[in-house]
Amino acid sequence: MSTARLVARNEWRLMQRSRVARLALFMLLALATVATFTSIAHRNASDDLRARFQAQADQEFDGQPARHPHRMVHYGHFVFRPLPALAAFDPGVDAFTGNTIYLEGHRQNSANFGDVRQSSLLARFGQLTPAFVLQVLAPLVLVFIGFGLLAGERRSGTLRVLKAHGVTPRDLLLGKGLALAGLAGLMLLPALASLGWLVIAAEAPALPALALALGYAGYLALWVLGIVIVSAIARDPRNALVTLLGLWALTTVLVPRVAPDLALAAVATPTRLETDIAILRDLRKIGDSHNPDDPHFAAFKARTLAQYGVSRVEDLPVNYRGLLALEGEKLTSQLFDDYAKRQFEQQRRQGAIVSGFGLASPAIALRSMSMALAGTDLDGHRRFLTQAEAYRYDVVQRLNRLQAEAVTYSDDSNRNKDPEAGRRVRIDPANWSKVPDFAYQPASLAEKLRSALPGAAVLILWLLAATWLLRRAARRLGEAL
Amino acid sequence: MTALWRHELRIFLRQRIALPALLLMLALSAASVWAGLAEVSRQNAVIERIQPQQAEDHAAVAGHALRDRDPGNAAYYTFYATWDRPSSLAFAALGQRDVAPYLLRVRALALESQIHESENYNAELALPGRFDWAFVLTFLAPLILIVLLHDLFSAEREAGRLRLLRVMAHDRRGWWLRRIALRAGLLLAALIVPVVIGGLIGGAGLAILGLVGIAALYIGFWVLLCLLVSRFKLGSIANAATLAATWLVLTLVLPALALLLINAAVPVRQGVELTLAQREAVHGGWDKTKQETLQAFLNHYPQYRDTRPVEGGFHWKWYYAFQHLGDLSVAEQAAAYRSGLEARDAWTRRLAIVLPPLATQVTIHRLAETDLAAQLAYQDRIRTYHRQLREFYYPYIFDERPFGPEEFKAAPRWSE
Repeated sequence: MSTARLVARNEWRLMQRSRVARLALFMLLALATVATFTSIAHRNASDDLRARFQAQADQEFDGQPARHPHRMVHYGHFVFRPLPALAAFDPGVDAFTGNTIYLEGHRQNSANFGDVRQSSLLARFGQLTPAFVLQVLAPLVLVFIGFGLLAGERRSGTLRVLKAHGVTPRDLLLGKGLALAGLAGLMLLPALASLGWLVIAAEAPALPALALALGYAGYLALWVLGIVIVSAIARDPRNALVTLLGLWALTTVLVPRVAPDLALAAVATPTRLETDIAILRDLRKIGDSHNPDDPHFAAFKARTLAQYGVSRVEDLPVNYRGLLALEGEKLTSQLFDDYAKRQFEQQRRQGAIVSGFGLASPAIALRSMSMALAGTDLDGHRRFLTQAEAYRYDVVQRLNRLQAEAVTYSDDSNRNKDPEAGRRVRIDPANWSKVPDFAYQPASLAEKLRSALPGAAVLILWLLAATWLLRRAARRLGEAL
Repeated sequence: MTALWRHELRIFLRQRIALPALLLMLALSAASVWAGLAEVSRQNAVIERIQPQQAEDHAAVAGHALRDRDPGNAAYYTFYATWDRPSSLAFAALGQRDVAPYLLRVRALALESQIHESENYNAELALPGRFDWAFVLTFLAPLILIVLLHDLFSAEREAGRLRLLRVMAHDRRGWWLRRIALRAGLLLAALIVPVVIGGLIGGAGLAILGLVGIAALYIGFWVLLCLLVSRFKLGSIANAATLAATWLVLTLVLPALALLLINAAVPVRQGVELTLAQREAVHGGWDKTKQETLQAFLNHYPQYRDTRPVEGGFHWKWYYAFQHLGDLSVAEQAAAYRSGLEARDAWTRRLAIVLPPLATQVTIHRLAETDLAAQLAYQDRIRTYHRQLREFYYPYIFDERPFGPEEFKAAPRWSE
């Protein structure tokens, strides 16, 4: 072991003297630092802005004048998705998903104003975040510094000299690997500092932050192993470099782009327009509230009358129009949920296909793990959509209940003919502030860890495979000498 | 002359890396063109697929909304489809078409709450960007070129042949030029043959020459860069490392930094602000007197001034008037939002002057009409169509003319 350490120390000294290594490391650290600061600033600014918009929307809702409750159903509400603290490390899909939804009765609107749609093509080149620096740039810098670790020694013939001095191939690979791992550790420093800062200052959850640090450390360790292996078995340094560059381009640039295309081709999702039409079609099949002779609503009426033991809707103790609104909203909302569930299921299947490509590209595995831990994966967005829909339903039904209970049937029916009735249907605005505000519930620790698990498992698999390959490379190196 | 070229080709192909690199380029280019064509035909198929669904939906709406021959009901319940067909070059650069909708339904109510709607897309699939020809050209082709050219001079020097060559070749410049032109030319051919075939299949016609020209310029830029680096007389390894690092900085690092700068310099929060403000304006309409609302509206549509005044609690005239006034009240913010987006785009184009990979992307996406400008152009067409729809319904609503199936059929159609 001490020989390996000697080799590592010697290699370190060489690297410190190498201008290329120093320059590359300096550039990477500079980029990582810029990425850390801008990401934190961007995350804070976005989150503050969303919180401010949310407060404005809440205030405007509560401050509405006396109105007919159904007017408030159409006035609706806005909700904004807060940005988790760890989004400053890995913003994930945040820029790609809209962060605000307009909630109103009988309709389900989309989440709008995602950053990518509001940016030029530049957004598709990739965003400079701490996660991007470590996922994409750091491995390449490690390649530049490490490709010649063993291939260089082999070429200059120093391998035999080392062997003559009693250095075993195992010690040699271990030592070189340790030296490169030391550099990888340096590259991790800005990320670790930013994670630490986020936990201490921004109240980011500690365990996911720790898991993120471990995940990225494992990923860079994997690259270190890969570089040592390729450098050990390549014919010469140039071959080592070209092979490693190819591996890098394949696993971090090409496969991550090809995998989504294949997933999209395998699992088609309907467009929003088609879903809208399909929901309306299904709704017509259940019942048409516009049609006075519709069987569903006729049955509903009979049931309601029987429940209250009266024979006419005018005699009900509650406003029948409000009851109708409650029933109608229940039907549409069930359909919204059904279709959302179907869509989420399709997206999960697409996601599973991409995850499968993690076996071909550790970058994919790391990315999904990283987004899951940061709370910025698609699941986080789905969580927002689901909670927003539940909140929409709750607000609308509260207002419909107000229509049923606080507005009389005769006033409601005559509100457009009789100005007095029209005034009476505008109920006390104090009711608006009784509607609770939207409070987004982020994923629990257990949920985050669970959705990070597949990515982590694939990474561990990769590490095991790399360790095995390293042993074989050491044996081959021993035989070659 | 051809003998010289043939000889050069034989030397080139004898290199272990040459043929695999060229075949890889050809395969990547062909795969990306194939993927692009598949995506474009999928989008076209979706546009075809929605037509009967849309017709069925309209028939169903007609069933109940026309019952009272009330134009207000018809305008309220009918959603009209708009779509933005991919251009004949879109297969080469799919651009923003995955994140911005190319289908949108609108109705004659306030537009600002409809036009910013998004498509249901899987954000995790959109995150890494699409695998299209523009990507292969911008990111992958330079890497393969670097593999082919990084040891052009250094390999000869390292093999000790460089001096010999200098002495022996009659036309040294021509000899090197031939060597470079052959390598870059073959790579370029592998890159553009699939896209030209794709253009023929996709019916792009001569427009494909634009893509070919950009590819040639971009590859030319990288060839020059390779030659420039070779001037430093480094070894093959140092050449390869320097070129790959340059590639990294030009295609990944600088664009990412540029995005940070542009988005920080040109914030666009007006989108959310205007939707919040528009809702207040539209729903505030319920609390204003009908006269006030109608007066404001009639200033814009004086032709309906002499129609019957509104009485009672509700009338569609008043409803559609405050819907339109809601849009007008945020027109300034909508314009500011749009100019913010355009400013971001303009800065991107300015930066493209000094960043060849960005210039390549910007130009190809402009030719393919899949960039932000194309997205805004589609929104403009939606705005025009929305105005046609409103103004189609206004005479029926304001003159209180009955609105039956005949009239329903005469509504303006979306023109492609």
